[in-house]
Amino acid sequence: MKTPDLIDTLVDSAMPVGRLRPPLVRAALWLLFAVLVLVVLTVAHGVRPDLSERLRQPTFAVGMFGALATGVLAAVASFKVSLPDSSRSWLLLPLPALILWVSTIGYGCLTDWVSMGPNGVRMGEAVRCFATLLLTSAPLSIAMLVMVRYAALLRPTAVCMSGGLAVAAMTSIALSLLHELDATVMILIWNLGSAALIAGLASVFGRSLLAWIALPLTPTALRSS
Amino acid sequence: MSARRHNRPPSLTVVAASAAEVPFRTSGGLDWSKLMARAQDGDRQAYRMLLEDLAPYLRSIAIRCFKQPNDVEDAVQDVLMTVHMVRHAYDPSRPFGPWLLAIANRRMIDRLRRETRKKAREIALSTEHETFSAPATNLNEAEFDAAALSEAIERLPPEQQRAIQMLKLNEMSLKEAAAASGRSITALKVATHRAIKSLRKMFRQQGQRS
Repeated sequence: MKTPDLIDTLVDSAMPVGRLRPPLVRAALWLLFAVLVLVVLTVAHGVRPDLSERLRQPTFAVGMFGALATGVLAAVASFKVSLPDSSRSWLLLPLPALILWVSTIGYGCLTDWVSMGPNGVRMGEAVRCFATLLLTSAPLSIAMLVMVRYAALLRPTAVCMSGGLAVAAMTSIALSLLHELDATVMILIWNLGSAALIAGLASVFGRSLLAWIALPLTPTALRSS
Repeated sequence: MSARRHNRPPSLTVVAASAAEVPFRTSGGLDWSKLMARAQDGDRQAYRMLLEDLAPYLRSIAIRCFKQPNDVEDAVQDVLMTVHMVRHAYDPSRPFGPWLLAIANRRMIDRLRRETRKKAREIALSTEHETFSAPATNLNEAEFDAAALSEAIERLPPEQQRAIQMLKLNEMSLKEAAAASGRSITALKVATHRAIKSLRKMFRQQGQRS
């Protein structure tokens, strides 16, 4: 196809489009959705019985704050980076919060390892944890993918990575709010493991998933070529 | 004032109207940002003007990355399509140039990467590449056969040589050959049969020797 012909096709298929809202507004919308998912899960499952007691412990409180800050900043970063003319350095935005979050997980793990034996969690709790993990991360991932689908052609890996991090942080908050995970190994697996898994899956499959979700953006006349 | 406006020649009004329609930058070029804003609202004419104005600019960028004219054109089309697909992501309050350049760089780097990967994996197949390891299969058969055959025919007795030349090489019928040579059809048949037999023998001996 020659370039003038392509221009003809593109012009013919040009419909009025709604402009994207500013990235901060879109990040806020996504975070609102995340809060909604968390509230629904909390209502359905109920918070862990020792939440108020745990929140008084500095490690737990700092960890929760770190996860929340990571989620918020990673969401802002992914919406910022999804725009072609914004700087790539936005990816570094959630880094300090991420370090804070991961360091509290590691610290809790170490102290718990010393103070008590690894016999805390029954299998039933682990299965419920997994359900929470899926119920939080799946809708948030889908929402994020749909909202940044136009980035498939621009910066897929960077957007998927920071988007995955935001989802992982939010999932971790849900896990911490709902489940009593005091055993060291389980904390590590659920918090860090699920975060790494979600972020990893997002960067491996995010690219092709984004491309698939972005397919309707292609003009119909050009889709087969 | 209003009377003067009414007395204006119509051509001036048309020029003024078209100037309002086509947004120009202070530097003289088309204002891409305004054209894109109009294209987002569904103005196809503005969109066509924008894309037609972008194409040569993109070509000048693509020429730095790609050598083949086809590759340059493919890259330009790729960027135009991407601009089309993400046009809703453009914010008219921000400059258009950096937005476009970021997209163009991204797509061209992607293309270059894909090309490099392809080059590392694939080799263009040419006639010089051998398909089989046996040397005999890679010889230029047609030329070799024709030369060997004409050489072998020259070694035949003159009578058989003539018969082969007329009946097989010139593809004459037996009647025509008989008329041309003044010999009987049976004699020609026998001569051809003997010629083919001795040619076969010659090639078999040659094959055994090689």
